[in-house]
Amino acid sequence: MDTFPATLLALAITAPIFVGLILLAGRDLPRSFASGFAFGGFAIPAVLGPWLLILWSNPSTAPQQFQSEGFWGFGFALNGLGAPLLAMTSLVGLAAGIKALTQEVEGRNTYLGLILFMLGGTLAVFGTNHLVGFYFFHEFALIPTFILTLFWGGEGRRPAAMQMAIYLTAGAMASLAGILIAIDASGVEYGVATFENVAQGLQNAKSIPAATGALVLFGLGTLASLFPFHSWAAPGYSAAPTPVSMLHAGALKKFGLYGIILLGLSSLDITGGSLGTWFLWFAVANVVLVGLICLAQRDLKQLLSWSSVAHMGPIFLGIWVCGVSGKADGLDAAAFLMVAHGLSCAALFLLANAVRARAGTYRLDELGGLATRTPILAALFIAATMASIGLPGFGNFWGEVGVFLALRAQPLWLQALVASTVILSAVYALRAVASTFFGPASEALEKRFASAPFGDLGWAERFAAFVLLGASLTIGFVPSLITKSVNPVAAGITTFSQHNAKAPVKAAPAVPTQR
Amino acid sequence: MPSDLSSLVHWILFLPLGAAALSALFLRRAGGLAAWLSTGTAFAIAGLSLNLLSKGVDVTWHVELAKFGGISLGFGYLIDANARLMLFVVSFVAAWIHLFSVGYMKEDSARGRFFAGLSIFMFSILGIVVADNLLMTFIFWELVGFSSYMLIAHYFDKDYAAAASKKAFIVNRIGDLGFILGIAMCLSLYGTLDFVALKDHAAAAKTIPVAVGALLMCGFLGKSAQFPLHVWLTDAMAGPTPVSALIHAATMVAAGVYFMARVSFLLAPDVLQFIAVSGAGMAALAGLCALAQTDIKKSLAYSTLAHLGIMGCAIGLGHPALALMHMAMHAFFKATLFLGAGSVIHGCHHEQDMLKMGGLLKKMPLTAVTFIAATLSNCAVPFLAGWYSKDAIIEAAYHDGHFVIFAFLALAALATCLYSGRMIRLVFLGEANSEEAAHAHESPWTMTLPLVVLGLVYSVAGGFLASTLLPAGSLQPIKPALDAIAFHLTAPSTIVGLFSLVVGFFGALKFYGVVRGADTLQVVSPRTYHLLEHRWMDGLYLWYVNSVQRRASEFVAFLDLLIINGVAVRWIGGGVPAVLGYLTGRSFHRGQTRAYALWIVVGTLFLAWFLIAR
Repeated sequence: MDTFPATLLALAITAPIFVGLILLAGRDLPRSFASGFAFGGFAIPAVLGPWLLILWSNPSTAPQQFQSEGFWGFGFALNGLGAPLLAMTSLVGLAAGIKALTQEVEGRNTYLGLILFMLGGTLAVFGTNHLVGFYFFHEFALIPTFILTLFWGGEGRRPAAMQMAIYLTAGAMASLAGILIAIDASGVEYGVATFENVAQGLQNAKSIPAATGALVLFGLGTLASLFPFHSWAAPGYSAAPTPVSMLHAGALKKFGLYGIILLGLSSLDITGGSLGTWFLWFAVANVVLVGLICLAQRDLKQLLSWSSVAHMGPIFLGIWVCGVSGKADGLDAAAFLMVAHGLSCAALFLLANAVRARAGTYRLDELGGLATRTPILAALFIAATMASIGLPGFGNFWGEVGVFLALRAQPLWLQALVASTVILSAVYALRAVASTFFGPASEALEKRFASAPFGDLGWAERFAAFVLLGASLTIGFVPSLITKSVNPVAAGITTFSQHNAKAPVKAAPAVPTQR
Repeated sequence: MPSDLSSLVHWILFLPLGAAALSALFLRRAGGLAAWLSTGTAFAIAGLSLNLLSKGVDVTWHVELAKFGGISLGFGYLIDANARLMLFVVSFVAAWIHLFSVGYMKEDSARGRFFAGLSIFMFSILGIVVADNLLMTFIFWELVGFSSYMLIAHYFDKDYAAAASKKAFIVNRIGDLGFILGIAMCLSLYGTLDFVALKDHAAAAKTIPVAVGALLMCGFLGKSAQFPLHVWLTDAMAGPTPVSALIHAATMVAAGVYFMARVSFLLAPDVLQFIAVSGAGMAALAGLCALAQTDIKKSLAYSTLAHLGIMGCAIGLGHPALALMHMAMHAFFKATLFLGAGSVIHGCHHEQDMLKMGGLLKKMPLTAVTFIAATLSNCAVPFLAGWYSKDAIIEAAYHDGHFVIFAFLALAALATCLYSGRMIRLVFLGEANSEEAAHAHESPWTMTLPLVVLGLVYSVAGGFLASTLLPAGSLQPIKPALDAIAFHLTAPSTIVGLFSLVVGFFGALKFYGVVRGADTLQVVSPRTYHLLEHRWMDGLYLWYVNSVQRRASEFVAFLDLLIINGVAVRWIGGGVPAVLGYLTGRSFHRGQTRAYALWIVVGTLFLAWFLIAR
């Protein structure tokens, strides 16, 4: 077996962690050395991630080739859903890294090191097949997220970090309980508790405790900001430093969805019975209620944070409809949207910060007319906005439209509620564009420009935005880049969940049965 | 050979995308180069389209981009007679509008962006024309909305342009919501989105559900600015005049008509009935509203609304070929009118108020003559282009026995003559009413040549020349349609038309000469004028946005804050942070990051040990 892909995977994940360790250890490292080193830590995965995705889509490369032994038993492995998410994460990581490198902060080396930890952990989440490893790496990425928010965050960072910590810990605990119960019920040894083995084991399990699905769905749902467990998300992203918001909202948050798909949807019947009904209504609330909340936002970063919550709605619904209909289309579309949203959302956080760096504020009523001064920033921001509201050409379009089409057999009112996102998102996103960039320049802005003239977007940030938007355009024009690796996974899960639907879960005993 | 022709279509479709990408990325500061690149591309496409038209061969080509489960995301071409005609009309009109823009936008500092926008618009509209399936149509449909947004927002530092661009995009999206639901329904019912396959299914099915057509129609209502989604079109005049000519007169709004003709087999009788009645009503009402506009472009915008109503009506009456014929002819003369208006605005130093113009016939003779010629076509003077296409539709209503619709269309014809006469009187006749008009000058050749070509060749002689200039094949669908309704010079529609012309056009010429520097109707009957000027639907939408949507969103945000965030989190979750905060209080506030980094390592190692050791 060719171990080359496995080596690439291991390198992509460990490189940022390794560099991060060095930067944490050496806080007095000279600036230029630290910068170069950190850039390497961000750039290596960004080269390897897309490469791995292409290798993965190539039918001649067997999936086993992406597995490595790793340390302590939970080695790295790449599956068809993880591959595009890993590639996306690596690009978001590069953009976030470039942003971080341009920032002037105290304790710069520690800051960069922690961001690299976060990146490495997130990459590992999608680069492992082991359920425990999957959970472990999420925590591994989440802890630096708290710390970064707490110490380098913006306005309101303490309560936000605190709230985020409580929510995410609670969510993680619930999902950990769900994961452990699921592994237990599947009868698989911990050492080999991969997604496939556990799913297989659960097919043959005599009984699965009733609460398992709920624990997994709502535990992981909290981490992916499923309504009504979303309250942490908007303040959390808003208060976090920009590279952290990019990585968290863009990439790390997809952890929850990834787990819901590979564990919940495939073997815990989360879309059946009353749990499925709750799932549906919560997901619809993500689209409609959170969409309405977005309309009420008066602050650019708050708006982006909220809209990032709202955009989870179609993803949840794609997952839901896959379970209900037993067809793979919804899941394919949801996975596509997970990747595309990561790119557009990171680009928006990046560019919004560039707005603030110039205008000195995120408040929409104090912004205005920035496009005359910074045409390139404006053009890129509009492009990112258009990507996020699903303009064809960008990846998000396929995901959103795919979810709408997958819902075709559902009642028309439900389809209309979900599709209302095309109007809601256009309203709040274009309003933000207009009040930030269009119209005459606000007085405050002109004063600021007169006292300290600012230039257009710098080359580093321009490059970062190009990476993200370029990737979104690439998958927009060549959607098969994503679907080639996702299709088999979605088809496989559909077969599994259909099997489940045929043999409904029996009322489970209150106490997990021991094997 | 079909394979050769599909590569011809590749060129037609992707040339403008390449031009747009080049301009946007590299020619931002080289506006002149961008202008000629874009214009050259447009003429090349026009040539290629003419080539395709003259070949008269159907082209089909298809490729699957990806699959979502069982749904195929397809991309392909279906070039039939209608598509060839539409391709030619769009690209030919667009090419001359590009040339016009070279002169019109000469002083503009953002020419690179403008011409990139025109090219991306060309890509989008041509995509709708050649698409062979509903999803691809939707893709380009959205792109048309986007390019329109960017071009309306060209003068983005003006509040009205910012507002108008946003409004156009959002109103279009409201229509697109229905459109995408309609596409989902087609997929659900017939299992395909391919036009040819859909047509077979529709032919095999006894009845088509009303909902399919009704939902697909929503897209048409948005894009073609039909009631009640017409509100964006007049505001869209905030864009540069060539944009108004290209997008909001000749092509974008016609896309809806083209699309309805393309899927006419999916429209149930009830849907057709609705389109016909609302189209006819729209035609009459918008025509009258044009009388209460003093901005020359807004007045023309209402004229466009009226003509779109007429085209919609033709589709509703079951004559899609006539709708397309009128779409083509309207594209020529309305583009001429808008470009003429642009020339006038340019000549009068960016004055758009017709009450401040006057006497321009002497100052700008070439512009005036072409404008008047196009106006006469608009008024359906027999044997001019507009007569063939517009009166044929009115005649069709009569012939098929829809007398109410006929009455509305007759009223629309009268209104057309009224506002046309008013426009000619206010702009070109009489004396100059402002300094700007007194010092007006004729525009440069890049602006007048397109006027002459589009205006004289097509508006006046369009009807005559259509049969000779356009290859016979392209008119195939129209000839039988004209025969079917027995269209001729003494048809009732022509008699009504001639009556309108004499009473309306010449009456308006006389009527609007009475008062100088003001609108006669406003002076004579301010209430009637206000009734026509006031934008009732806009008021309704504004009320909805401010009183319903905004309050709803604030209410939900408040509830979220109060119940989910406040009660649930603070009270229930409040205990946890209190305890945690007490326990970790000291070390938490020391602010030593390295201590934290250490905690991460310790914590994760502990967790790993715990899990592995079990």
